[in-house]
Parts: sequence; structure tokens; C-alpha cells
Amino acid sequence: MLTHAVGLHARPSVKLTKLAKTFGASIEFGLSGSGPWIDAKSIVKVMATKVPQNSTLHFRATGQDAGAAVQALIDLVERDFDEGAMNGEA
Amino acid sequence: MGNVGIVIVSHSPDVARGTADMVRQMVGEEVPLAWCGGASEGGLGSSVEAIAAAIDRAWSEKGVAILVDLGGAELNSEMAVELLPHERRGKVVVCNAPIVEGAVIAATEASGGASLDEVRRTAEELSPA
Amino acid sequence: MDITEATRRALIERVAGSVILHADELTSLDQAIGDGDHGINMKRGFEAVLTDLDRLAAMPLPEALQAVGMTLVMKIGGASGPLYGTLFMELGKSLPDVPGFADVTIAFEAAIAAVKRRGKSDAGCKTMLDVLIPVLETLKSGQPGSAGRLPAVAAAAAEATRPMKAVRGRASFLGDRSIGHVDPGARSSALMISAICKTLEAAA
Repeated sequence: MLTHAVGLHARPSVKLTKLAKTFGASIEFGLSGSGPWIDAKSIVKVMATKVPQNSTLHFRATGQDAGAAVQALIDLVERDFDEGAMNGEA
Repeated sequence: MGNVGIVIVSHSPDVARGTADMVRQMVGEEVPLAWCGGASEGGLGSSVEAIAAAIDRAWSEKGVAILVDLGGAELNSEMAVELLPHERRGKVVVCNAPIVEGAVIAATEASGGASLDEVRRTAEELSPA
Repeated sequence: MDITEATRRALIERVAGSVILHADELTSLDQAIGDGDHGINMKRGFEAVLTDLDRLAAMPLPEALQAVGMTLVMKIGGASGPLYGTLFMELGKSLPDVPGFADVTIAFEAAIAAVKRRGKSDAGCKTMLDVLIPVLETLKSGQPGSAGRLPAVAAAAAEATRPMKAVRGRASFLGDRSIGHVDPGARSSALMISAICKTLEAAA
């Protein structure tokens, strides 16, 4: 569940893309378990998806480190992109 | 070899500095980054000398991608690239992308170790065909 | 035509002087359809050229033109810097030390081609090219006395940008509202053409 205050906005998009790029696996995410699937390594596509707040993100990956990649991305979302404390500030 | 460097060229020093701040805060420190803005003697404009110096500060052997705002900044950036020493000239590109979004996106792409061509293509995905 | 040091000095002084003298007019033209800095930018560039007058006039013509172009690139600041800088630098690259009439035409054609590439522009876009290209056509026509007609050709060509719609440069954002104003770059080009022709005529 994406709880970030403004949805998957620019800064979280950058974090998600950067993290995805650290894995060799090809990684996609979708707003439902049946797609459509978005390339998590494409910053332009991630930003263009404009994921709203309270969406549930589904990840899938193929490749050697696919399991670790999905886990890392889920962790990032669950940590609220490491910037929960910034939400609601002026 | 490091990551591709990013240079931000605006008519306004405030816009250039602000864009660079966004890149630093959103993307981080791993991308060489420099900015310049304003005419050589103050006021709005762009200066070939300042652009050349910014390219130097953001230099990476992997190349440098320049993001510009309006016409004069683009022309002056192209001029600055042409006046570079021959061995550097082929490693610097002016991206056809909006300056703020382009800079953040180019830097994101560069931070993952992408080539200059990949950085440019990603930034230019933003532009209307 | 041997362009002596005295003539080179006069050319620089007259071209720079004309641009500086008309800076306010260029600025007011640019305030109508641009960002209002053409006059002040051009003045800054040509004042920088004048501070280097002795050194520039002493150089052979091709080197002097390239040095003027480089100063304009570095000092003008707006889009005009690279455009006029490219024009002068390319003229310098193409002209021999002692150019004949044919050399001037060839060099001018090469310089205009370079400006087109730099500005990604061409005739009819309401730019300096709308003055430079008719001047080149007149030179190429090779009719007797064609050189003497150039100032008038250039002035008329600048005036002819008034009904045009800008498709390049800042003025293009105005779309139809750019119609009805002379293009500042066309005007500054006409001023320079006129100053060059009158200086060469007086020196001949």
C-alpha cells in the first residue's frame, strides 16, 4: 500500500527508479496484479504513471536477483520512501 | 569512470541554482553537477564563458549532458560545446528537454551509470515529438 | 580589394558605432516582440570589440573577423551572440587576406549557411537571415553597381520583416502578435551591412 502523502510523486519516483536500477533483473510494477505493467527502471514512465495516494503497488521481476529486487522495492514503499517525516511539513 | 555529468544553463541564476538544488535533493550526490545562469555582466542571459566553465566543473570521462531553458541558452550552449577542445567536444550534448524535469530525469538516469546517449534519450523522452 | 589597416579600423569603428548609436532603437524593437535586450546586448558586444580596436585592426582581415566573432560570442549574451559570432567567425574562416568580389560572395554565402545551421532557421522566419539572404542574392546577381545598392536592399529587407510572423526565436512565442513589428535582428543586420558598404565605398 502506497501511503505517501502525494502518491508516487517526483521524488519517490526517482528513489524507486534508482533502486530498481541497482538490480540486474528486469522489474515492473502495476496498480493491479494483472497490469498494465510499467518498467520500474524508466524514470519517465514511472513519473508519467502518476500513481495516486493509497494505491497498492504490485511488483514483478525476472532475472537472477529478481527476488531481492522485489523485496527491496517493497521495503522502500513500506518505509514510505524514507521521507515520511517530511510529509505534512510546510 | 564515474557517472555522466549534468550542466544546467538558465537565463536566470536563480532558476539554474534552484534546479541544481532539486537535482541534489532528489537524486543525490553521485552525479557531477554544475549550473550557470545570467549574462556575463549581470541580468538575465547566458554566457558562453560561464557555460564552458560549468562543463569543466561537471566534467566526467563518460560525458556531460546540458539542460537549457530558452533559445539563447541553447545557442550559447551549442557554441560552448563547439569551442571545447577537440577531445571533449564529442562527449557533451545539449538535451532537447524541459530544464527542470529534464535535469532531474537526466541525473536519475546518470546516477545508475547510464551512458551519455542513454541519459540524453531518457531526458528527451519528455519532449513532445 | 586590399583592405588596409586603416580601412579595417574604419570598418570596425563604423559597424560598432552604428550598432551602439542605434542601441535604443534595437531595444525598443525587441521590447515589442522579444525580451527587450537586443540593443543592450549588441551594445555590450560591440563596446567590447572597440576596446580591442588597435589589436583587431592590426590583424589580417580573416583573423580580425574571427576575433571580432569570438568577442561577440563571449560578450553579447543573448541568442544574438552565437548568431552574429558565427557570422563573423565563418566570414573570417572563408575570406582570403586580400579578397576579390567573388571571394566576398562565396564567404558571405558560407557565413549565412553557418548562421542558418546555428539558428536552425532560414528565410521567411522573421530573423536576421531575412536581411542577409537578400543581400547575398544581390551580390550574386553581379549586376554593375550591385554593391552600391546593398544598403538600400538591406534596409528594405529589414522593413519587409514587419508583416512576417516569427517562427524562430523568442518572438515565435507571440505567434500572430509578432506581425506588424520589424525584427530587431533584421534591423541590426541592415545597420551593419550599411556601415560596411559605406566604409568600403569611402575607402575605394
